[in-house]
Amino acid sequence: MFRKVLIANRGEIAVRILRACREMGIPSVCVFSEVDRTALHIRLADEAYLIGPAASRESYLRIDKLIDVARRSGCDAIHPGYGFLAENPALPRACADAGITFIGPSAETMETMGSKTSGKQLARRADVPTVPGTDDPIENPQDAQSLARTMGYPVLLKAVAGGGGKGMRVVPDDQAFASCWRDASSEALNAFGDARVFLEKYLHAPRHIEIQIFADAHGRVVSLGERECSVQRRHQKVIEEAPSTVVTPELRRKMGEAAVRLARAGAYVNAGTVEFLVDANLSFYFLEVNTRLQVEHPVTEQVTGLDLVKLQIAIAAGHRLPFAWETITPRGHAMEVRLYAEDPDNNFFPCPGKIVARRIATGPGIRLDEGVYRGWTVPIEYDPLLSKLIAWGNSREETIARLRRALDEYTITGIRTNVGLFRRILSEPEFLRGEIHTKWLDQLLARSHPPAVPPRLGTEAASAIAAAYWASIQPTNSSSGSQTSQTTPSRWKQEGRRSQLDRQP
Amino acid sequence: MKFEVHLDSLAGKTRHVVDLEKVGASYKVSLDGEPVDADVILAAPNAVSVLLNGTAFEIHIAPSLDGTYKLQTGPHEFQADIRDPRAWAGRKQGGLEAEGRQQIIAPMPGKIVRLLVNVGDEVEAGQGLVVVEAMKMQNEIRSPKKGKVERLQAQVGQPVNAGDVLCVIS
Repeated sequence: MFRKVLIANRGEIAVRILRACREMGIPSVCVFSEVDRTALHIRLADEAYLIGPAASRESYLRIDKLIDVARRSGCDAIHPGYGFLAENPALPRACADAGITFIGPSAETMETMGSKTSGKQLARRADVPTVPGTDDPIENPQDAQSLARTMGYPVLLKAVAGGGGKGMRVVPDDQAFASCWRDASSEALNAFGDARVFLEKYLHAPRHIEIQIFADAHGRVVSLGERECSVQRRHQKVIEEAPSTVVTPELRRKMGEAAVRLARAGAYVNAGTVEFLVDANLSFYFLEVNTRLQVEHPVTEQVTGLDLVKLQIAIAAGHRLPFAWETITPRGHAMEVRLYAEDPDNNFFPCPGKIVARRIATGPGIRLDEGVYRGWTVPIEYDPLLSKLIAWGNSREETIARLRRALDEYTITGIRTNVGLFRRILSEPEFLRGEIHTKWLDQLLARSHPPAVPPRLGTEAASAIAAAYWASIQPTNSSSGSQTSQTTPSRWKQEGRRSQLDRQP
Repeated sequence: MKFEVHLDSLAGKTRHVVDLEKVGASYKVSLDGEPVDADVILAAPNAVSVLLNGTAFEIHIAPSLDGTYKLQTGPHEFQADIRDPRAWAGRKQGGLEAEGRQQIIAPMPGKIVRLLVNVGDEVEAGQGLVVVEAMKMQNEIRSPKKGKVERLQAQVGQPVNAGDVLCVIS
């Protein structure tokens, strides 16, 4: 096993990896930028080193500094987490040069499997279904139409030079083909000066379902089942769950086998995720491979009982996957929401700041993976992910009830969060029935807001009383109220400004 | 101690007058003039627990940059503007209206810079009466009620002490 592990990340994932190391009895080393001196991963660290200014490219993205810290502190392995350098082949290369183990796949694997085009080619070779379509533009409309017939409608015509939806047509049936072809190619010609189009199978309202795989260095590859991540806002996952409501044991086996074939074809080692689109007929199509630990890995951990980070470390240290995990089946249901410091009422604009107070969610079936604490100021320089709230239950219904209950318990005071978004999603009938797809949330948000939940009788009265009480216990002539954030100006100043503004000419 | 609380939420704006009278370790609470059965404590930093006729509420309070407060209880949010009787400036129009004959006093030492009314004028609640300069800021003292200027004791240029009677509204 490793002597010491360098955690090349920050935030909740740095804390997550640190915890895994500690449970395994491996000392770990954390790194931080100038604004992260007080971050939770540094407060919890065994050892911590400054690696540069706030800007990521001068700190968390500096491979030379990370390797230097690893060397000086005697680390023999680096865990990249997700984001930052996790999918950059330069890091495993630098590690190899320095004689340090990179906890993840090799640089070569990252290159062949991580890129969309080479990943797709590999998938075809491994007999993993990809979205049917042409790799090259089609010149002749008759050829295109007969291809569309064999592919099955609806199909999508896509301009070679396309972008922003221009030169794109969904062809619903054979009759409409000729006119759609004319429209798409003339629009493409007008917009881009290039009339050539591709033909692709059109997936209506597909789901995003991904398979977690693990591969050891001794040739064993296993699938740990699926995660459904169809609830997305502008291609960003918002809620993840396992198992998927539409995946049958048969489909799970087929998707798992496809993912394992792909991993074998790419000589994959360590944790990876194979993403698929699944259409209404439950046909699945390869999308891409994420050659790292995923943000939503806890969902799989909750239904399999495994610790994926510890497993990653063990595999990187050369251990074998023990098992007959080829037949692993999920137990119960797990769901994760990503709480961000962002304002859902203001177009999800990031709004970091000081966490003045906090009440955390605990209790049966609740897990909170996070990198924040009361009194900490969320820095503006990084991704504003605060916490991942994960619920587990025997059924999807119980899991959703637990998650709702936990969201009511979890309160962050001082900054705005997207918690209201989850309250809304978790009460939408379509979501409750599992009728979701990758465009579902964007469509929901485009609709008008539903009437607000009527407050309990007395909510307003209690709020007024609480406000008055709060005012009564504040110091009257001091600006140093202990619980106010530092950015609050003096109350005298505010009062003066208010009076001045109130003044009539 | 009386507070005027303006609550602003998606449901609309409301105004409440809360009177808190400390009795031993707890408070006697009245809301909009009616006594209510409310047990109010600070449960945790920035978290006020209110038991209102036995119904439990926890209200999380954070100051906003504009001097108001953000209140959050369960899924509900309010913006609260709390008018403190100890705050020295006069009240805004539409504020709490006083009853009976009112003496208008200088809230802190300063100098009278302008008179906005004359004896005998009819005034509205919230209407400016006298402008007092203190700490290089001019502050308008407003009428707490609709009525008539019965007496005007302030004179332009006159220094005043906190508590000096400036005028009387009947």
